[in-house]
Amino acid sequence: MLAVVDEQMNEKKEWEPKVLAFCCNWCSYAGADAAGLERRQTPPTIRVIRVMCSGRIDPAFVLMGFLEGADAVLITGCHIGDCHYVDANYKTRNRFEFLKEFVDELGLEPERLRLEWISASEGAIFADMVKEVTENVKKVGPSPFRKSWKK
Amino acid sequence: MGTCYLAWATDEKIRRRAANGGFVTAALVAALENGLLDAVVVVKKEDVYEGIPTVTSAPEVVVESAGSLHAVPVNLTKFVVEFYKDEKNKGKKIGLPVKPCDARGIIEQAKRQQLDINDIYLVGLNCGGTLHPLNLREAAAEVYGIDPDAVVKEEIKAGKLFLTLQSGEERECKIEELEKKGYGRRDSCKMCITKIPTMADLACGNWGVLKGEEATFVEVLTGKGEALLKNALENGYIKVKEASEKSLEVRERIKNAMVKLAEEWWEKLDAVKELTRDERLKFYVETLRLCINCGACRTVCPVCACDDAAKCVSMHDERDDYVISMYNVIRLLHLMDSCIGCGQCEDVCPVDIPLTFIHRRFAERMQRKLNYMPGMNVSEKPPFYEAELQWHDIL
Ligand SMILES: Cc1cc2nc3c(=O)[nH]c(=O)nc-3n(C[C@H](O)[C@H](O)[C@H](O)COP(=O)(O)OP(=O)(O)OC[C@H]3O[C@@H](n4cnc5c(N)ncnc54)[C@H](O)[C@@H]3O)c2cc1C
Ligand code: FES
Repeated sequence: MLAVVDEQMNEKKEWEPKVLAFCCNWCSYAGADAAGLERRQTPPTIRVIRVMCSGRIDPAFVLMGFLEGADAVLITGCHIGDCHYVDANYKTRNRFEFLKEFVDELGLEPERLRLEWISASEGAIFADMVKEVTENVKKVGPSPFRKSWKK
Repeated sequence: MGTCYLAWATDEKIRRRAANGGFVTAALVAALENGLLDAVVVVKKEDVYEGIPTVTSAPEVVVESAGSLHAVPVNLTKFVVEFYKDEKNKGKKIGLPVKPCDARGIIEQAKRQQLDINDIYLVGLNCGGTLHPLNLREAAAEVYGIDPDAVVKEEIKAGKLFLTLQSGEERECKIEELEKKGYGRRDSCKMCITKIPTMADLACGNWGVLKGEEATFVEVLTGKGEALLKNALENGYIKVKEASEKSLEVRERIKNAMVKLAEEWWEKLDAVKELTRDERLKFYVETLRLCINCGACRTVCPVCACDDAAKCVSMHDERDDYVISMYNVIRLLHLMDSCIGCGQCEDVCPVDIPLTFIHRRFAERMQRKLNYMPGMNVSEKPPFYEAELQWHDIL
């Protein structure tokens, strides 16, 4: 019983990645939903933030995610051409190019940042992506920006 | 390449004060007196180590400001932006001497709708680099062995820096020598490859002026530049002759040598490139954590056109305990496509963060990848905002 109390009260000794995913309301969020409806196994590492459109994902949000200690950040939205606000995901793609270079120069592993277009019916793709990212991040380890990180 | 001339002021008084032939001063004075320009921005000399950018319509102030101040590494962009913020100055024509980084800053502001480039006459100055005033003071004491306050004049000729004392005595030292000892040009200037301001309306300098000639080498690059030259010539303020083959060749050769030197500096200064990912992270965290968020780098940045609602400020919270502040990451990201490497940020940083170097590392790789150089052409929109700006243009 004491062991159970201990386990409940203390943080897990082992590090579990935290994956922050930005999902657009119309496609990729519905895609995440579909993954659930279809009863697909999705690692519990994911934290979803819903935005109306991937074009709303300011690169600063992504950077803040990293500074807050996210081990990986996913940017997802409708497929190119499918954006419900005409062309906003072209901007997303453009910004991602900058973020990718930025994150690499700063010294974070490229595995920690990913852009994926996911439609409302692609539950399987969503689940697989989370699985893959979680595995990759486990290989590279905790983010250096985790609060415990010193120097 | 535009038409090239050797030009000099007819006014003896201007020639005496000027850096070279006094063409820049004479052309600006002529434009003011004949109504081509409403105002001129010049750098008014306080002493060897200080010059104050001044907006003026008085020809005598322009004449007073003739000559080159190498230890005044000020960027004129924000002064021009301030000028046009005043409602009553909207639509006024101004002219100003610009180093390549001044011109590039002004062009970036034009892209951000802060000013209309058609109102501004850019009299470009070739630039081999500027010196930081404090660094020059130190060099005067340590290398030249003289009292920094006794220096009344500085001059750069044939790769040497001459300092003239009150007594009239002149001391010299090779710039190469100075730089070996950690003095000399600012880091941003050492690695700058835009030595001739081809993005301006005129490009003036002394490269290509042969021994024995007292003139300014002038390349006419645009219609506005041509108008300035013609106005000065037709009203008798200057005399010109076409530049000889030899002249052109000398100028090109010196420029190429300077660019090569800059590229070598970049390689040298780029030592961090050898670092691993972890070491890189450590470098950025350790240098940027010194930041006290004073915002000075943003204020002087010639390409930043944000007001007080800027993201780097509004998304920054003093209480956050991030290893690198939001202010810094946002600025670094936003400048990846637009940093022109002028080094103003580093000059004003109160805690001496090597900002030029850090910004260049982020910007250089992105600009190379995009094959884009900011500040060269008004019609090339900043790639980071390209999608938005296209939309803006449609509306
Ligand atoms: C920092 C610096 C470095 C230079 N390096 C080179 C070089 O390597 N090779 C070359 O060929 N030419 C160089 N020049 C240009 C050269 O010194 C002359 O300015 C140019 O030949 C024009 O000569 P002039 O007699 O017609 O100009 P002038 O009639 O003397 O007019 C010069 C104008 O420049 C302005 N000015 C002075 N200092 C500054 C400053 N720091 N920033 C902005 N404006 C300023 C003055 O207000 C004045 O209006 C440099 C100029 C500067 C300011
Ligand atoms: S609405 Fe889904 S990306 Fe724009």
